[in-house]
Amino acid sequence: MKKTGLLSIALLTAMIGAAQNSCTTAIPVGAGSYVVSAVDGPEIPDPICAQNGLGNTSASEWYSFTATGINTITVSTDLPGTQGVDTRVHIYSGQCGSLTCVGGDDDSGVGNNTSVASWNSITGTTYLIAFDNRWSSAGFHFSISESDPVNSMINFTGQAVSVSGSSLAVVDMDGDGLDDLVAVTSTNINIHHQLATGGFSSTNITTTTADHSASWSLAAGDLDDNGFRDLMYGSGSGVTFMIANEDGTIFHEVSPPEYIFTQRTNFIDINNDGILDAFACHDVEPNCYFMNDGNGNLTFIQGGIGDTPNGGNYGSLWVDYDNDGDADCFISKCRGAQQPSGINQLLQNNGGVFTDVAPLVGLADNTQTWSSAWGDFDNDGDMDVMVGASSFQNGGHQLMRNDGFTTFTNVTVGSGYDTFTGVGHEHVTYDFNNDGWLDIMGAGNTIMINNGNMTFTPSPVPAGIGPMGDLNNDGFWDIVNEGTIYMNNGNNNNYLKVRTIGTVSNRDGIGARVEVMTAQGNQIRDVRAGEGFRYMSSIGAHFGLGLTDAITEVIVRWPSGIVDHIMTPTINGTLTVVEGAHPVGIDEAEATELNLFPNPVQDILQVIAATDLSNAIVSVLDASGKLVVNSTLINGRVDVSKLTAGAYTITISKGKTVMVRKFTKQ
Amino acid sequence: MRSIVLVICSIVLVFAACRKDDPAPEPVGPGAPAPVSPVVFDLGEVPYPVLSTYNFFEGELADMMPVQGVLPFEPLNTLFTDYAHKKRFVWMPVGAKAQYAGDGNPLDFDDGSVLIKHFYYDRVMPADERKIIETRLLFRRNGQWEFADYVWNAEQTEALLDMTGATVPIDWLDEDNVLRHADYRIPTESECFTCHKNYDQIVPIGTKPMNLRNSFAFADGPMDQLAKWQSVGYLEANLPPNIVTPIRWDDETQDLQERVRAYVDINCAHCHSEGKHCDYRPIRYAFSETADPTNLGVCVEPTEDLGSLYTFIVTSGNVERSSMHYRMASDEEQIRMPLLGRSIAHDEAVQLVEDWINSLSPPCN
Repeated sequence: MKKTGLLSIALLTAMIGAAQNSCTTAIPVGAGSYVVSAVDGPEIPDPICAQNGLGNTSASEWYSFTATGINTITVSTDLPGTQGVDTRVHIYSGQCGSLTCVGGDDDSGVGNNTSVASWNSITGTTYLIAFDNRWSSAGFHFSISESDPVNSMINFTGQAVSVSGSSLAVVDMDGDGLDDLVAVTSTNINIHHQLATGGFSSTNITTTTADHSASWSLAAGDLDDNGFRDLMYGSGSGVTFMIANEDGTIFHEVSPPEYIFTQRTNFIDINNDGILDAFACHDVEPNCYFMNDGNGNLTFIQGGIGDTPNGGNYGSLWVDYDNDGDADCFISKCRGAQQPSGINQLLQNNGGVFTDVAPLVGLADNTQTWSSAWGDFDNDGDMDVMVGASSFQNGGHQLMRNDGFTTFTNVTVGSGYDTFTGVGHEHVTYDFNNDGWLDIMGAGNTIMINNGNMTFTPSPVPAGIGPMGDLNNDGFWDIVNEGTIYMNNGNNNNYLKVRTIGTVSNRDGIGARVEVMTAQGNQIRDVRAGEGFRYMSSIGAHFGLGLTDAITEVIVRWPSGIVDHIMTPTINGTLTVVEGAHPVGIDEAEATELNLFPNPVQDILQVIAATDLSNAIVSVLDASGKLVVNSTLINGRVDVSKLTAGAYTITISKGKTVMVRKFTKQ
Repeated sequence: MRSIVLVICSIVLVFAACRKDDPAPEPVGPGAPAPVSPVVFDLGEVPYPVLSTYNFFEGELADMMPVQGVLPFEPLNTLFTDYAHKKRFVWMPVGAKAQYAGDGNPLDFDDGSVLIKHFYYDRVMPADERKIIETRLLFRRNGQWEFADYVWNAEQTEALLDMTGATVPIDWLDEDNVLRHADYRIPTESECFTCHKNYDQIVPIGTKPMNLRNSFAFADGPMDQLAKWQSVGYLEANLPPNIVTPIRWDDETQDLQERVRAYVDINCAHCHSEGKHCDYRPIRYAFSETADPTNLGVCVEPTEDLGSLYTFIVTSGNVERSSMHYRMASDEEQIRMPLLGRSIAHDEAVQLVEDWINSLSPPCN
């Protein structure tokens, strides 16, 4: 049976046999053009590297390519001879039976549903190329070409992960400083705990059936300050909270009865009382939120934070746009029929009263948007925004530069966003290549790489959008898309991850502003819970540093008003900052008058101070940064009898005075 | 013997405009006393706290037997609501009369007009009995429509005004004796408005001439519904001679695309039309607009990022790459379409769309 031919300068060279019907009998090919007459080899490619899963795949055709140098290799079916055939291709390294994906594609060709897969080769390595019949068993043409290695702006490698439910969050659930992968159903929480040694340990925690499932969005945050993050599910009928117990092994369901057509959910300390609250965008009514009294009571409130009668609220994002130390709220809005409910709002926080200033600053636009990406794209010290279109009906993506908090200037023209045609629900900003400039990811399997001058270059990536975090602790943002983790291949750039542990402020430090100072310039981040539309990505502040190899200072400005200064931290790792542990401005004379006795201690630690510290807030963190005691100081005594032996840090705060000491438990 | 006889307002109008506070209308017909509707509907008082106050029904409330003046109707094609059964009625006060406003536009109703719609299931388990869940009212006051939703009590003796919404799990045996389950949604007022919307106004959906130009089995015999409305004085006699109507979507003898057009008009056009909730998506599902297959989404790229699988809203000949089919077949809240009004898929409609997509050629490119 004739199946393959070499199309060399319009000449068809016949190759006889069905050799290419399996991995072990793959036909070696070099650069050139080929004809496949049918996809009918009985082997099912494993793993599936390209998009769109196994589906009806039942057959494949196999070729091998041995690299003679370090090049970018491209396999393409986007040729005239493929006309009308829907192809898919997987690229592997390794041995048949234990193959590893190095690339793959379903539909990237310009010709409808044709495939174009590229990868960078290593000299002497043999790669296996498998076309499958996911969509069609009909014959087609393909080409292999080599080019000088493209220094791709960003590369990811997909790896399958077996999750139970929808992969909705990448967040540190257990307080060990490593991001975990969270997938949920209405009765189960599946956590892939990232191991310090690499890889994951998967746990399934059965829950009572959530009244409201996480169909529209999920947020994570520590509502009860116990060091284990809780979840908030946003459904079309309301929200459900899943509250983690003292060791994160059980989640207790709390399902408020109120109707909310929930869209984006967030955790944020709305009234800045040091206790984390929860916010829910309402699609068809004014927004809703739940005020947390710190005793397990969540009080439902509707009104005061985005009150358009018919809603239109899709993407809430909490951001300190005016650098006044409190979190303001931007609502990305969408609505048909040119209604007021479709006009975006920027709700400025004035001591807990929220006023829409979008008309004043130039953000009251009726672009149909489900989420917007807020970050300091030009590293000038304030938060800019890319309002991401979900439809071009009322205008496209809008890149808006924050000019002194009073005006957002539309700088879309020439930015790359004027010509980018991908539209979608999700828009988030992280520094994916750690070059020190925030990039933006939206729809269309594309990351918009920040060129450093408020323009962006589209970079295709294999991953569709999903929850993001650092799942191999290498300092680069990874992306999860349902059952695949797309690990960022990284580069030589430096980075710093800042993990915030609040003591006076909420424990997660959500709402904190983190600043990084280097000789080459400064960067800022807000610590957030709930960006984009649906997913929950890593909590913390993640800075790319490019080739900058030293940070002069990290400043954390907490919602409480406390400011920490960390001088010359070690880079290329995680810096854990405990609120109040790195103070300046404390009266050193006064501070030195604080003593702990005895130290080492067994049961009761006595705090001896010249000043009155009665009812001061006491927080004790263990060596890993986990909060183990949180109480008020009475008669100067702190009960540490339940602590295990080891080194601890105690923070005692009263008013603006914060004192930090170390002690040892015997 | 029960019969539906109504005040013939058109005759009264010869003398004077009918008004609620007018004296009793003139006798109709030779020697016959004018039948007076016993419905209680005071625009200054409605919505009443309980459904029985209106006196729309006689005998046991749950029997849903209309009183004089409460006229049953059923659109040619009906909205799917988790396989719930429905009974619909219209009532108008003396002197009120709807006006034709286009084949595909809702009739233009007068103040005081009421549309009444029961939602119920038969063979509800475990007791294998009928269960009426809710009765929705749309009524017109001061030139505007308003909602009132009545939720039935467990005893099925009364329904109480409740606009706060609820989700009701329900298990029933279908026509094939298969046990089905749905999480039936009683809408909040804001959910009502999401579908019953034209720009910022509340509007009815089903009461369009094109949905009523068909025969209905009235208590006194079958009759064209528009003719019936006219004969009882509920509709001005100025209809154009030809009203363009869809076919019945479930008529399997008919053309697949015409059936799809009929289905999406009543199930989807209340969001996917100009001035509606989702008019920013590139589809237009009103019957008057779907003669162009592009408005049905054929070979139109979706603007929502549902994954690279879905190359077009309708990918000719390829169901698996069609986002319309994916959304109609899905039970997942964030995927399923229609957005509101169903928790389970309408299997027969999904099959229709599947057959239709498979019938389409040439391939999109």
